[in-house]
Amino acid sequence: MKTSLTLALAALLSATALTGAAMADDIVLGASVQLTGTNANTGRYYRDAYQLTVDKINAAGGVKVGDKTYTLKLDLLDNQSDVNLSVRQYVQLVSADKVNFLLGPFASNFALSDSSVAEKYQIPMVQGGGASTQIFSRGYKYVFGTLPPADDYFASTIEMMGKLSPAPKTVALVSADDSFDVSVAKGTRKHLADAGVQIAVDQTYREGASDFSSILTQVKAANVDAILWTGHETEALNFIRQMKGLNVNPTGLSAFTVGVPTADFRKALGADANYAFGMTSWLPDASLKDRWFGDAAQFAAEYKAKFGYDPDYHAASGAADVQTFVEAIEKAGTLDPAKVRDAIAGISFDSLYAKVKYGENGQIVLPQVVVQIQDGNMVPVYATDFMTKPMYPVPAWDKR
Amino acid sequence: MVLAQILLNGILLGGLYGLMALGMALVWGVLNIVNLSHGALIMLGGYTVYYLFTLAGIDPFVALPIAMVVMFAAGFALQWGLLNLVVRSKMLNTLLITFGLDVVLTFAAQLVFTADFRTINPSYAGANFPVLGLTVPVVRLAAFCVAVALAAGVWFLLNRMPLGRAIRATAQNLTAARLYGVNPRKLYAITFGIGAALAGAAGGLYGMISNLTPYMGASLTAKSFVIAIIGGLANPFNVILGGIFVGIAESLTALYIGPTYTDVISFGLLVVVLVVRPKRAVRAA
Repeated sequence: MKTSLTLALAALLSATALTGAAMADDIVLGASVQLTGTNANTGRYYRDAYQLTVDKINAAGGVKVGDKTYTLKLDLLDNQSDVNLSVRQYVQLVSADKVNFLLGPFASNFALSDSSVAEKYQIPMVQGGGASTQIFSRGYKYVFGTLPPADDYFASTIEMMGKLSPAPKTVALVSADDSFDVSVAKGTRKHLADAGVQIAVDQTYREGASDFSSILTQVKAANVDAILWTGHETEALNFIRQMKGLNVNPTGLSAFTVGVPTADFRKALGADANYAFGMTSWLPDASLKDRWFGDAAQFAAEYKAKFGYDPDYHAASGAADVQTFVEAIEKAGTLDPAKVRDAIAGISFDSLYAKVKYGENGQIVLPQVVVQIQDGNMVPVYATDFMTKPMYPVPAWDKR
Repeated sequence: MVLAQILLNGILLGGLYGLMALGMALVWGVLNIVNLSHGALIMLGGYTVYYLFTLAGIDPFVALPIAMVVMFAAGFALQWGLLNLVVRSKMLNTLLITFGLDVVLTFAAQLVFTADFRTINPSYAGANFPVLGLTVPVVRLAAFCVAVALAAGVWFLLNRMPLGRAIRATAQNLTAARLYGVNPRKLYAITFGIGAALAGAAGGLYGMISNLTPYMGASLTAKSFVIAIIGGLANPFNVILGGIFVGIAESLTALYIGPTYTDVISFGLLVVVLVVRPKRAVRAA
C-alpha cells in the first residue's frame, strides 16, 4: 500500500514536472525585466511588448524551422529594478530554465551587466533597452541592440538648433551619472563642439537625485540659450517642475532625452510639459510595414487596446527584438545558438519599429526624431529637416 | 548672488527634510523603534493628498490636515495591532518588522496606485516671487513654514500638555509612568500615530515639490535617519535645524564639489556626528 502511494506520488510529480518544462516544440525566450521597483514604469513596456508580439506570432502560426513548426514561449522574471538580481536571473534563465534565447531588460546599466551572461554562455541576446555605447564596445559577439547609440541622441537636436532663428549659442548640459547618460553626455559634448556651440554649464548629478535647485541656480546665473538634459523620467519631472519654481528660462529651448514621448509623463506635468523638446527613435507611423502587425499604427492600436496605454519607442524596440529572433531562426533553419547568432548579424528586415539591421558592433543605427509637446500633444518637429514648425523660442514661465 | 540663492534653496529644502525626519525622531526617541517604514508612510501621505486633490478637488494645503488625520489613524492602528507586540523586544526585531512593513507597503502601493508618476500640481505649484534679486518658490516657502509650525506644535505637545508629559514620562521611566496611571500601549499607539501624521504632511508637501512613486520611501527613510541623528531626538526644533543643516550642506556640495557628491556629504556628516557626539544617537524625549 505504502509503495503504491509513493509510486502514485512520484508519477504525479513527474507529470507536473513535464507540464512545467518547455515542450519539445517550444522556443523559449528568456528575459528579466523591471516589473517592480523604481524602473517599473518603463519596464512594463518591455513586458507588454514581448507578450503582445509573442502572442501575435503564435496566432499567425508560430515559427517554421525546416518542416517543423514551433510555438514561441516567454520566460519572464522580475528583477525588481536591481541590477545584481537581474544578472543572477539571467544566469538562472540559461543554466536552470535552459531557455533557447535571451531578450533584454530595460536600461543601459542593466543591459551592460546582463549581456555579459549572454556572452559567457554564448546564447544570443537581442535587447531593446540599453543604448549606451559601452554595451557594444567590448567586442562581444552574442549581444545585439535595437536602440540607437546613446552618444548620438542629441545629434538631431543640435542639428536642428543650428537651423533655428535665433540659433542657440550657449547651452547648459545636465546629465545623470549612470551608463546611458554618461554616454549621452560624452557624445553630446563632441556634437556641440563640432557645431560650434559653447557649453556654459556642464553638470553631472547623482542618479536618482530629486533636488536640482543648485544646478538650476547655476544655469539661471549663466543665462544660457538652451538646456540639454539627460537622465531618468522621474528626475526629468522634478527638473521641469523646479525650473518653473525657480523661474529658470533659457532664452531658446530645453530638450530632454527621456520622458517627452511618454504619455504618463505628459499627464503628470500637465500644462508645464508644453514646449519641452524631446526625442524618439520611433513614431507609430503607417509607413512602417510589419509582417505580423501590418504596420506600426496597427501595432500601436492593438497595444493600446490590450494594455490601456500608448506604446512608445521602448515598446516598439522590444517588439523588434522578438521579431529579430523569429526572422533569424527561420533564416538559419536551426535553433543552434551559434548559427542563429550568425543569422542575426546578417539580418535585414522591415518591421513596425524600423528597418532592422545590426552594425558591426551589434547595435542598430537610427536617427532620433526631435519632438516637442505642443498643447499637450507630442508633435514630431525635426528629423533631417523640419516636419512641423517648432514653437520657438520657448516663452518664459510667466508668459505662457 | 548665486551663493545667496543656493543658501536659500538649501534652507527651504532643509525645512522639509526636517519635517520628514521629525516623525522618525519622535518615534525613535519615545518608542526606541527605528522605523524603517517611515519613508513608506511619507509615500502613503503623499498619495493621500494626491487623491484628495485630483479626485475630490481639495486644495493640497487643505488636504494636508485631512491626510494627517488619515495617517494618524493608520499609524495608531499599526502600532496598536502590530508594533506593540514587539515594542519592548530587542532592537533587531523592531528593525526587521518595520523593514518588512516597508516592503509590504511599497509593493501594495504599486498594486493599488501603479508605478505611474504622480505629481500634486495645483495652479500655484510653480509660482515664485523675487526678493532682493533672489527667487523664492512659493510652495517651498510654504512647505518650510508648515514644517516649522508642525515642529512648534510637537514641541508644545511634548512640553506643555498632559499627553506630552505622559509620552515623555513613558520614555524616561516606564514603571513610574505606569504607577501614575499611564497606559503605555495606548500611548505608544498615539505617539506612532503622531509620527505617521507628520510623515503624511511631509509626503503631501514632497508631492507638490517633487513627484510620487511607490518606491520613493527607501531614500527618504535613509535621509530621515541621517537628520534624526544629526538633529538629535530630544527637541523638535533641533530636528528641523538638522534638516536645514543637511539641506545647506547638500546645496553647497552641489555648487562647489559637484552634484554627484551630495549623498557622500550627507552620509559623511552622519559618520562625523556619530564619531564626535555619539551620545546624540542615544534616545531621549
